[in-house]
Amino acid sequence: MSPTFNPRARNFTDDYVLVEKFCLKKYEFSHGDVVVFCSPSNHKEKHIKRIIALPGDWIGTTHNSHDDVLKVPKGHCWVEGDNSASSMDSRSFGPIPLGLVKGRVTHVVWPPQRIGLVERVFPQERVSSFK
Amino acid sequence: MGTQSLLWNSVKKFLTCGLIGLTISDRYASIVPVRGASMSPTFNPRARNFTDDYVLVEKFCLKKYEFSHGDVVVFCSPSNHKEKHIKRIIALPGDWIGTTHNSHDDVLKVPKGHCWVEGDNSASSMDSRSFGPIPLGLVKGRVTHVVWPPQRIGLVERVFPQERVSSFK
Repeated sequence: MSPTFNPRARNFTDDYVLVEKFCLKKYEFSHGDVVVFCSPSNHKEKHIKRIIALPGDWIGTTHNSHDDVLKVPKGHCWVEGDNSASSMDSRSFGPIPLGLVKGRVTHVVWPPQRIGLVERVFPQERVSSFK
Repeated sequence: MGTQSLLWNSVKKFLTCGLIGLTISDRYASIVPVRGASMSPTFNPRARNFTDDYVLVEKFCLKKYEFSHGDVVVFCSPSNHKEKHIKRIIALPGDWIGTTHNSHDDVLKVPKGHCWVEGDNSASSMDSRSFGPIPLGLVKGRVTHVVWPPQRIGLVERVFPQERVSSFK
């Protein structure tokens, strides 16, 4: 998730973030939310990635060097890390069921010089929400 | 003054019990109603029952996530995260499961971190035969006992169609 979190590999400590779970009451997520979820291939692991596309959206991906457009199924979302070069995300394991999401990251709380809100940003040119 | 402190004591006790109850229900075990006939005759064996069966769901299994063939589990629906379903685990990660697709037989391998779930009442059950294997991360608890109605109180047995599942690696 570099540079949003852990921007430099040579940091002595990892970033610490605040994860809120109120979002799990209504399960209403927005494009660009950073979420914590259980890995679909190993339920004991949790990952932090950004939601790029919501159920019903069309997302542009590149598969075996040709461009493809995928529709995100009902009840699923498409997640990607901000650091595309070094991220295991929906481009490898496909869209994930929203039931696997465990919380939403709202703030960075450590280190002190990086304390602040986590912005909602996402590549709008790759996502189409028309129904 | 006496009445006020009595009232306050009652409120404190009520809140304490509520908090303990909530913690137990969230982390250890809870009792839930079973809706529908997809797990008939294990649960809700006759449609004309006045009340649904109530079952005990334990959450200790979520510490190690070690499930067995035939476990009945509660999980979030992969197509609608607001819904929970109760079905039986027929196959675990790495197993080969026999299914019928468009009336020809097929054999599927259950991917890593996923499981194959089916209702006991195959004729009337939306399960992995429709939505495929589900990630184990969606499982929320395991059903161990039926607790209501009184004549059906008992353990929930682990049974599954062994002839359809192959666990060789």
